[in-house]
Amino acid sequence: MVGVVIVSHSQKVAEGIKEMALQMAAPQQKVVAAGGMADGGIGTDAFKVSEAIISANTGDGVAIMVDLGSAVLSTETAFEFLDDELRANVKIADAPILEGAISAVVEASLGSSLTAVIATAEGARTLNKC
Amino acid sequence: MTEIQVTITNASGLHARPAAQFVQKAASFKSKVRIATGNKVADGKSILAVMSMGLKQNTQITITTEGEDEIECCKALEDMIKSNFGEH
Repeated sequence: MVGVVIVSHSQKVAEGIKEMALQMAAPQQKVVAAGGMADGGIGTDAFKVSEAIISANTGDGVAIMVDLGSAVLSTETAFEFLDDELRANVKIADAPILEGAISAVVEASLGSSLTAVIATAEGARTLNKC
Repeated sequence: MTEIQVTITNASGLHARPAAQFVQKAASFKSKVRIATGNKVADGKSILAVMSMGLKQNTQITITTEGEDEIECCKALEDMIKSNFGEH
């Protein structure tokens, strides 16, 4: 199963999205929050993100949901810390973080590929609410 | 092809968690699954398609399944909706 990592500037946001996404997940589904700085402050921490990616990977790759701005940069930096095999099997979804994470988790729980999980997450951009 | 009509009875409708449960159940079968209501049709194995339908409580839907396990698949989805997805 593809793992899902949630990268937010806020630890609470990342944990909250993880909590919601797990409601939709199969029991073995990995969802890992990587929010805030090491001291709990607002920001994104590349080291924390890389640890989260490693723990979310079960061999099928990892889809990463990001919030704004430097969350992308920190995640790209985190990729540098990964070994080559894992680095080839991770991808950032260009998607809204909450809707993307939930869609990704449902898709991943079906046993879909990383490409399919990313496509579903990105499809959440056009999900109308009313 | 197997087809049934069922009314969504759980309070929150086919959204979020129930939608995810529906899609996961549908995907556990080999058959193709379609949900239709009014003029809207969705792939029952796609979470985005199901959530986009915006199916609320008391909406009647038609579930169509097609494939080698279509009868079991249709029955499982019907039972899930009728059990209110475990909501109270």
